[in-house]
Amino acid sequence: MDYLIYLTIQSGIFIILAVSLNLINGICGQFSLGHAGFWAVGAYVGAAYSVFAPLPVPDFVNLFIGCGLGFTAAAIAGLAIGVPCLRLRGDYLAIATLGFGEIIRIIIMNMDAVGGPRGFTGIPAWSNFFWVYLWVIITIVFVVNLLRGTHGRAIISIREDEIAAESMGIYTFKYKVMAFAVGAGFAGVAGVLFAHTTQFIHPNSFNFMWSVIILLMIILGGLGSVTGAVVGAVILSILPELLRFFGETVSEWRMVIYSMLLICLMLMRPSGIFGKHELDIKKLLGMKKGDA
Amino acid sequence: MSTPVLETQGITMRFGGLVAVNNFSLQLGATDLVGIIGPNGAGKTTIFNMITGIYTPTEGRVFLDGKDITELRPAHITQSGICRTFQNIRLFKDLSVLDNIRLAGHFRVDYGVMSSIFRTKQYHVEEARLVQEADKLLDIFGLKSKKDHLAKNLPYGEQRRLEIARALATKPKVLLLDEPAAGMNPKETADLTKLIRWVRDEFQIAILLIEHDMSLVMNVCEHIHCVDYGQLIASGGPKDIQSNPKVIEAYLGADAVAETK
Ligand SMILES: Nc1ncnc2c1ncn2[C@@H]1O[C@H](COP(=O)(O)OP(=O)(O)O)[C@@H](O)[C@H]1O
Ligand SMILES: [Mg+2]
Repeated sequence: MDYLIYLTIQSGIFIILAVSLNLINGICGQFSLGHAGFWAVGAYVGAAYSVFAPLPVPDFVNLFIGCGLGFTAAAIAGLAIGVPCLRLRGDYLAIATLGFGEIIRIIIMNMDAVGGPRGFTGIPAWSNFFWVYLWVIITIVFVVNLLRGTHGRAIISIREDEIAAESMGIYTFKYKVMAFAVGAGFAGVAGVLFAHTTQFIHPNSFNFMWSVIILLMIILGGLGSVTGAVVGAVILSILPELLRFFGETVSEWRMVIYSMLLICLMLMRPSGIFGKHELDIKKLLGMKKGDA
Repeated sequence: MSTPVLETQGITMRFGGLVAVNNFSLQLGATDLVGIIGPNGAGKTTIFNMITGIYTPTEGRVFLDGKDITELRPAHITQSGICRTFQNIRLFKDLSVLDNIRLAGHFRVDYGVMSSIFRTKQYHVEEARLVQEADKLLDIFGLKSKKDHLAKNLPYGEQRRLEIARALATKPKVLLLDEPAAGMNPKETADLTKLIRWVRDEFQIAILLIEHDMSLVMNVCEHIHCVDYGQLIASGGPKDIQSNPKVIEAYLGADAVAETK
C-alpha cells in the first residue's frame, strides 16, 4: 500500500514536471533540454530552507513557503538562462539549456553546505499525497487558464510562426521568456515536493537523463497538449515499476524499451497520443449521447 | 500634399555584396492605393521587410506620420500602425480562424496574465470584446461560418483573405500586401480587386501592394512604382507605366522593346 502511495506521489511530481516543460517545448515551441536543472534548483533551495531556516510555523505552511521559494529561485534561474539563450534557435537553444542543466548539477556537487557529492540528508518529510496533488491541480489550472486567454494565445502563436506573431504586434521575446520562466518555476516546485518526499537528494538525481525522460513524457503524450503531458507522465512513471515485475534484466533494459516505445510511436502516431488536442469532456459526453 | 502617412527616404539594403534595394524613396498619402511592381528578385519584398522592421535598412530612414520608425522592432511598428501580409502566406496554421484574428487584437487587450489565471471580470469583458470585433471582421470577409476551422484547412483563396483580415484586425493606418493574388484564379483575382478597393474606402487607410499580376495592379492602383535589380526605374499612373519602355524592358527583355518600336 505504501508503495502504491509512493508511486502515485512520484507520478504527481512528474505530472508537474511534464506539464511545465510542455509549456516551454510544446506550447511555446522552444526546445529546452535543461528541465532537470530547474528541478534541482527548486529541490535544493526548498530543502535548504527547511533544513537551515524554517520559520516557527506549522509544517505545511513551511512547505508552502518552500514551494514559493523553489518557484522563485527556479524562475530566476529560468530568466538567467532564458534571456541570453532564447535569442538562439532550435538546436542551439537545446545545446545551451543542456549545458545549463549540467552546470547546475556540477555547482551543487561542489557546494559543501548542501552536502556536495555526499547528497543532502535530513530533509523533513513534509510532503504527502495531498500537497503534491494540490500543486498538480494548481499547475494544470494555471497553464490551462493561461492558454484560454490572450497571453497564452500569444505564447502559442510563437510556436506557430514567430515572424507572423511579431508582425501582428506581439512581443515574441517577452512571451518566450515568460513561458520559460513560468515553466522553470513549476519545475522548481516539483523539486521542493520531491525533496520533501524522498528526504534525501543527490546532484545525480537531476542529471541529464531526467531532462530526456521528461521530454519523452511530453512527446509520448503529444507536444502541446496538457492532457497529453499528464498521460505521458503517468505512463512513464508507472512503466519502470511494471518492468520490475519482469525481473532485474528487463528492468535494466529500461532505456532500450523506452527507445523502442518512442520508435513505435513515431511510426504509428508521430504527433503523440493526443497530438495537440485536449481531452474534452463535453465532446466525450456529446459522443455518448450520439451513440445512445 | 499634407504630410504623408508613410515615407521612405533613400532606403538601401545590402546582403554582403548584393544590393537588394538601392536608395528607394516613396511617399504614401493617408488613403493612397499604390502598387510596386517588378520582376522576380527585384527587391520588392525586401522593401516591405525594411518598412516593417524585419530588416533594418543599411541606409535611409522610414517615417510613419512624420515619426522615425527605422530602428523600431517589428511588433512595435505594427502597434504604431503598419501591418502586412506575406508573399507565402504566414497564418497560424494550427489555430482556428477566430484565434488568428484575435491574436491580431492581442496588443490592445487590457488585462494581465494573473487576470486570465483568476478569470477576473476584466478578462471576460476584454475577451468578449475581442470575439465581437473578430466576428465583425470575419463577417465582412465572408469567413464567419468558418471561424472554428483550423486556418490550414481553408482553401487557398480563403487563406489569403484571412491573412488580409488578420492584418486589418491590428487596425493599421497603412496596409502592406505582398502579392495578394499569387496563386489565385482569374475569378478570385477579380474578387480580390474589388475587395482591396472596398477595404481602402471602408477603412480609410493607405494601401501599398506588391503584385506580379499586371491586370490587378493596373485596375486597382492609382500610382505605381516599378523596380528592377533593387533600383526604382519608373513611377507614375497605370497608363504611363504600361507604356514606359523601361518597364517593358524589365518585364519582357530588351528585344521586346525593339519589336514594339
Ligand atoms: N535575407 C536575405 N539574405 C540574402 N539575400 C536576400 C535576403 N532576402 C532577399 N535577398 C535577395 O534580395 C533580392 C531581392 O529579393 P526580394 O525582395 O525577395 O525580391 P522580390 O520580392 O522582388 O521577388 C534577391 O536577389 C534575394 O535573393
Ligand atoms: Mg517577393
